[in-house]
Amino acid sequence: MDYILDVQSIHTFIGQYHILQGVDVQVPRGSITALLGRNGAGKTTTLKSILGLTPPREGKVTFDGRELNGMRSFDIAALGIGFVPEHRAIFRDLSVEENLKIAERRKGDLDRKREMIFSLFPDLKRLIGLPGTSLSGGQQQMLAIARALVPDNRLLLIDEPSEGLAPVIIEHMMDAIRQLSKESTVVLVEQNFLVASQLAETYVIIEEGRSVTSGKMSDLKQDKATIHRYLGAA
Amino acid sequence: MTQFLRKNLILILTLAAFLAVFIAAGQGMERKDFVITLLRGLSVGSLTFLVASGFSLIFGLLDVLNLAHGTLFMIGAYLGWTVYVRPDTFVDVLTPLALLIGGFTLSALWTKLSALLPASARTNKIFPWALLLVAALLAFTVITRYPISSWDTENFSQAPGSYSLMLDQGAPLAPPAVSFDKINPALALLGLLLASSLGAFGLSLFGQQTQSPKLTVKEFIPFGLLALIGFGAFAANDALTAFLTGLSNNWLFLIALLVATLSGIGLGALMESTLIRPLYSRPIYQLMLTLGMSAIGIEVVRAIWGRPEFVMPKPDIFSGSGQGCPATTLAAWWDKNCSIVLLFEGRVRVYNEIFIPLVGILVLIAVWILLQRTRLGMVIRAGVQDREMVEALGINVRRVFTLVFALGVGLAALGGILAAPSMGLSNAMGESLLLNALIALAIGGLTSYPGAALGSLLVGLLQQFMIKYGQIGIAIPFTEIIFKPTPPIVPASTVLLMVIILLLMPNGLLGKKE
Repeated sequence: MDYILDVQSIHTFIGQYHILQGVDVQVPRGSITALLGRNGAGKTTTLKSILGLTPPREGKVTFDGRELNGMRSFDIAALGIGFVPEHRAIFRDLSVEENLKIAERRKGDLDRKREMIFSLFPDLKRLIGLPGTSLSGGQQQMLAIARALVPDNRLLLIDEPSEGLAPVIIEHMMDAIRQLSKESTVVLVEQNFLVASQLAETYVIIEEGRSVTSGKMSDLKQDKATIHRYLGAA
Repeated sequence: MTQFLRKNLILILTLAAFLAVFIAAGQGMERKDFVITLLRGLSVGSLTFLVASGFSLIFGLLDVLNLAHGTLFMIGAYLGWTVYVRPDTFVDVLTPLALLIGGFTLSALWTKLSALLPASARTNKIFPWALLLVAALLAFTVITRYPISSWDTENFSQAPGSYSLMLDQGAPLAPPAVSFDKINPALALLGLLLASSLGAFGLSLFGQQTQSPKLTVKEFIPFGLLALIGFGAFAANDALTAFLTGLSNNWLFLIALLVATLSGIGLGALMESTLIRPLYSRPIYQLMLTLGMSAIGIEVVRAIWGRPEFVMPKPDIFSGSGQGCPATTLAAWWDKNCSIVLLFEGRVRVYNEIFIPLVGILVLIAVWILLQRTRLGMVIRAGVQDREMVEALGINVRRVFTLVFALGVGLAALGGILAAPSMGLSNAMGESLLLNALIALAIGGLTSYPGAALGSLLVGLLQQFMIKYGQIGIAIPFTEIIFKPTPPIVPASTVLLMVIILLLMPNGLLGKKE
């Protein structure tokens, strides 16, 4: 199997806390993979460890055949990894346009992608001149995803895209993620199992800092016992 | 609109109160006093702003409270003074300085070379230290024998102040002649380059060689430039000195402004990349480091330029006098370059009260454009809010940190040399400015650029109006009492203003809620 991202038993410490105690994630190229698990299981830390924002102390992360250990996080991102963080991290002091523009890695990235972004998120077109603060939660989420699309990213790490959004907007956002997964591979952290199960093809469940099980989403949907054990009532 | 009003109610009321107090303050004095006090406030505000804006940029992006900022302001003043009053010293220093820095710009080459060393030398902890020690000894040996025409702080007739004073009176002292009698020139140049290379090589051994950098022509450009300056200044030492001494002192002053600012930028870059960078994860150590740097900076200045305060003559364009002065029109001023012009019958000193505020406003606009209209500015604004996200976008935040620190120190150094002709040079000149700047930032909002400008303006105006009212007294309404603020009230008044503002708006006037 062709994995674009291969995380092998990483251990990550934040301060003195041993947060990740052996996480394995294999992401097939072109798929949507969901990281599942309860609150505080270590899903977000896994994403940050991949990006080098919280560098793993042990284990190995390989992206497209290249080992990422020891690289600085901006060099890792520049290899073609987009990040949509949990709380969107829209820059308040920048306009919507600037929020997209800052993600450019080469001059003209935004102009090349503008049409594609507006077709995914038509709302952004009329918001483009506004300051980043004036957006609603849903619009901020759109912008955060759009920002990750500006450069040519081969992998997108999306953290809790549905958090705090109204159902209608969640539908819209799921459509958008399906669309963009045609262009690049997606790793999704999602608390909402309904959303994750509809989007993802493969899954990894993380429990107390360890990856406990993984496989095809279609199998997991049948496996009520596993869902109940690791994800609570779903 | 109404929403905007409601959101900013306290801010609007506060600003309205300021305006009311300001107008009231104007009623209590003659118009000429008012104009002069206003301009002096602008002047102090501008100098404060030059310190405060850099301080706030650095704090906003890097989370570093740079307590050495006031000292760097002072160093800027002394460096600029040296270029202006002793251009020959400046030219003499260029060669050793450029050659000493030169080796350190070749870090890519050293990293490459260190890979060739046997493994035992690379893992040996003592080896790099030994290299550094040899480099330092070599540099010391050469520098102490290198001929630099300077001043003598022990000898009054050759003290920096005397050079300044005699230059101001139109009879500049002749600098002492120096020559290569203690060391062979070729040996000196070679020794400096060798010391710098050994030192840089030693430093490169401390780092981890995970990936070896590519050696491109681009890597050699800084070294090429420095070598050009170093050897150029060596070969054409006399010609360069004659050229600078022959320049009108207006041009020389401009060069002094430039050199001070650029040195500040260089010093800032050096400080960030060597001292601050290893301590980003330990803020307390950083605070102690900048405090220590501040003390060291003051001692270095004392060792080189001495303790006594001295003046710096103003350039000719701001120091005309005699027939036709003080000027009353712009044309008359341009004709005579009067040091004083009459504005609403008030005697306004052109340099202190017009030139300094003008430079302040220019810098305000220039940095504003940098922040709002360039990619670097965009990254800075984004980084102030969320560094991690900027990094996750693939942007080298470390490099931006160095740039911002360098820029901030550059602004402080510019402030220093700008202040020197009006304040004079003293070891303590930076401390009061840093205090002013901190108060201004607390008032305006710690990480807000417009806040730094507004806070500096308020602090400057308040101080100057207090000083003026200390002379003429405030008539308390409905009473016979005339209240004269005493000198200690001047600094206390700005602190009081800060306390009031912080009680009303804990984030300062234009600060953002965290």
